[in-house]
Amino acid sequence: MKYFLKKAGFMAFTVFAVCALTFFLMNVIPGGTAELILKHTLIGLEESATEEQLIQFSSRYNLDDPLYLQFFSWVKEAVLRGDMGTSYVYKKPVIYLLALRLPATVQLAGASMALAIVVGVSLGIYSALQENRISDHILRIITLFGVSMPGFWVALILILIFSLKLKLVPVSGYGNLENMLLPAAALSLHSIASIMRVTRTSMLETLGQEYIRFAKAKGLPVWKIISRHALKNAMLPVITVIGFQTGSLLGGAVVIEKIFAWPGIGGLLVDSISARDLPVVQGCVLAIVTMYLLVHFLVDMLYTHLDPRIRYG
Amino acid sequence: MSLLEVKDLSVEFPSGENTVKAVSHVSFEIREGETFGIIGESGSGKSVIGLSLLRLLPANAKVSGRVFFQGQDLLSLKPSELRKIRGKKISLMPQNPAGALNPVLKNGLQIEEVFEGNRDEKKEGMKKALELMKQLFLRDPEKLCTLYPHQLSGGMRQRLTACISLSFEPEILVADEPTKGLDPEAKAGAVDVFTKIKTEYKKTMLLITHDLDLAFEVCDRIAVMYAGEIVELDQASKVLSTPLHPYTKGLIQAHPRNGLVPLSGQSPSRIKLPEGCLFHERCRYSDVECSIKHPEIKYYNGGLIRCHFLSLK
Amino acid sequence: MDNSFADKLRKKSFLLPEAYGNEVVKKVFQRKDMLFALLALFFFVGLALFAPLISPYDPNAINLKNKNLNPSEEHLLGTDYLGRDLLSRILIGAQTSLSIATGVVLISLFLGTAAGCVAGYYGGIVDESISRLIDIFLSFPGVIFALTILGALGSGVFNLMLALSIVHWAKYARLMRGQVLSIKKKEFILSAITSGAGDFYIIRKHIVPNAIATLLVLATIDFGHVILSIATLSFLGIGLPADVPEWGAMLSSGKEFMRTAPFQTIFPGLAITLIVVIFSILGDGMRDILDPNHEGGEIY
Repeated sequence: MKYFLKKAGFMAFTVFAVCALTFFLMNVIPGGTAELILKHTLIGLEESATEEQLIQFSSRYNLDDPLYLQFFSWVKEAVLRGDMGTSYVYKKPVIYLLALRLPATVQLAGASMALAIVVGVSLGIYSALQENRISDHILRIITLFGVSMPGFWVALILILIFSLKLKLVPVSGYGNLENMLLPAAALSLHSIASIMRVTRTSMLETLGQEYIRFAKAKGLPVWKIISRHALKNAMLPVITVIGFQTGSLLGGAVVIEKIFAWPGIGGLLVDSISARDLPVVQGCVLAIVTMYLLVHFLVDMLYTHLDPRIRYG
Repeated sequence: MSLLEVKDLSVEFPSGENTVKAVSHVSFEIREGETFGIIGESGSGKSVIGLSLLRLLPANAKVSGRVFFQGQDLLSLKPSELRKIRGKKISLMPQNPAGALNPVLKNGLQIEEVFEGNRDEKKEGMKKALELMKQLFLRDPEKLCTLYPHQLSGGMRQRLTACISLSFEPEILVADEPTKGLDPEAKAGAVDVFTKIKTEYKKTMLLITHDLDLAFEVCDRIAVMYAGEIVELDQASKVLSTPLHPYTKGLIQAHPRNGLVPLSGQSPSRIKLPEGCLFHERCRYSDVECSIKHPEIKYYNGGLIRCHFLSLK
Repeated sequence: MDNSFADKLRKKSFLLPEAYGNEVVKKVFQRKDMLFALLALFFFVGLALFAPLISPYDPNAINLKNKNLNPSEEHLLGTDYLGRDLLSRILIGAQTSLSIATGVVLISLFLGTAAGCVAGYYGGIVDESISRLIDIFLSFPGVIFALTILGALGSGVFNLMLALSIVHWAKYARLMRGQVLSIKKKEFILSAITSGAGDFYIIRKHIVPNAIATLLVLATIDFGHVILSIATLSFLGIGLPADVPEWGAMLSSGKEFMRTAPFQTIFPGLAITLIVVIFSILGDGMRDILDPNHEGGEIY
């Protein structure tokens, strides 16, 4: 219990620190902040803002206050009222934009993660059981390429083959299952390969353990040895990797969402960074980091649940 | 009469381009009700014999020869039939109890899974197992079953694995270095356990050990192994009090009780065995003949011995 | 303690990496996959170094008459939307990617090793604060972090290097800290302290040489990751200015013409994949050789 409280405390601290980091980072742009934002978002690059517009804009968003004051008022509003400011570009509350975009990202990342776990773990086990046979070698080569291919390139190749040449699925869109197929496939490939690789290594290591030999000596059938004795032990390192893969999935989602015009926060983040829409960037970062840490927290709990040595340690 | 008969058993392991000859042309029989000991220094191939009886060696091991048990050759049995013998008729007591117990499963489950069949049969089996645990000096066995292996002491784990191996009432118990890595107190406990198994349950045992005290206490007959071969085989009392083979003599003199006189030299390389007697380089009595001709195993004075001179001179 | 004994120990630990070296070279030559990857890497580096000499066209020469051509004898890999020769641009792109990635790996290796050393060696409040910092940096999906930093700094080769180094140093720091903690327990450190060696001397002569093998494994694996990150960021149009020939940026502009000129999408991606595959093989092989009892799974 104490352990979890400590974990939760660390999570809150990390979210706070990351927000602070983003906030100050985004504000250390050379040149007057207000002027630059105004130039970028409100007027357009070709015209420069008038003095009057600048003053008006600065006072509306409190941009003349010192940075730390701005940050603390942002934190106060965010914690007390869930108000994370207003977008410069869309003129809407950030929280509204996030609520609008978050479900799509969660759907895509969730589907990809599910796909990665199911396919990665089962192929990894199969590969381990077939150690050094032809199918194992083929799977290992596929894994090698899986972890090495850039996700956005895979996405483009998938579009090229399945949408443009074979015309099986639409290039982009949101809402139907068939819209999800290509993005999820492209996004999960890297995680499938990573999870598969770890599962294989860990499974092989587990199968060499003495308790597996003892289980054989007890006369247990093969499926029982694998499902009861090997799997639970072999899954421990895999679970850790799944936690880390969430990070690369969320990072990959930014690009994949952009390619498939998927209405998630990844695309929103990229657009907002280009447009210097600071409140939205801040909100997106907050949302992504929170998701990532939550998954890590779950993974930690699962690990502790599976490994009695930690639970009672 | 003999319950288990090993005929001309050889085991080789490929290692890179070479093969390591772990066991070469070993033959012996185990009579019903007796405790047959195999002693020898580490690396002499004694554990490999124990594991090869139940076909528990790694897949790359090349095993030849025959092992007859109740009229069947264990080495050519179908896996499904082998499974009916493993743990039920011949059971293994593993070398390293800490490694042989699965860290993520409760002790109870690891005992219970030996019994197959419906729930009643399992309950019946567990009852017997709990009884057995009490007799093997384990206090409060019900509570023990709800714990995980890492919560037990080394001696308790050792007795627990003994229980698991005995709980199905096998006809032969193969104990593979049961006292390896135990502290002196637990070792003494192990001697008690084996004496009990021998005198009260009248089990047929194959005891593989380098612990001469344990061998002296419980074995009826003893085979001495050196570099993968049996060099001497006779009644335990004869082998341990009046050894004939120079290697056995050395082994017994190296025992702390007899003055800790170490054997000089090292075991020969098992990739390229030396010509002649495998022991001649370390033997005090060796002669020209020993370095040329490999001695065959011969009957002498009621036992078997592999030596040109029978060390009488 | 006897001074000559301490000296002997110090010499021994100092010689360790060298002893490693011979052994490693022998083992690399035993593994065909690593040997192959190494040859391929030399080939790639050679191509990158001599790109200006061997590329058939000026990579930046615009020729609108020849835009979006498919591969032909004149343009082996075709041309892009401005009629620039794709092969020449991919060759120059290798230069861009490899040099930026080298810079990032060196900077993060240096920063991470220094931070990890200080944290592990001095312990206490220093360790606590550096460890928290590492945790925070690692709790941020890398690409998104780099994206945010670049958003603030603006695009450019130097900024890209800086952003990626800020993201990557924490991995090295965490690994180095762990290494230092385990090396610190060894007897030769104790003997060095008793013979009166200073902190900096111990770190330089004892700790770094013993930890370097593990760090190099991470650096090799990380090299591939860095190249992927560079490509991803430029693909999003945030990493490098549009006129710099870089594989990710080439993919990004090529994808607009995927229907008619798909090769602009295929070839740059293939180049990225190949180079990352090479580093994956090398990294895995090095890990097998130098770190045989590593835990299953990737380091980060």
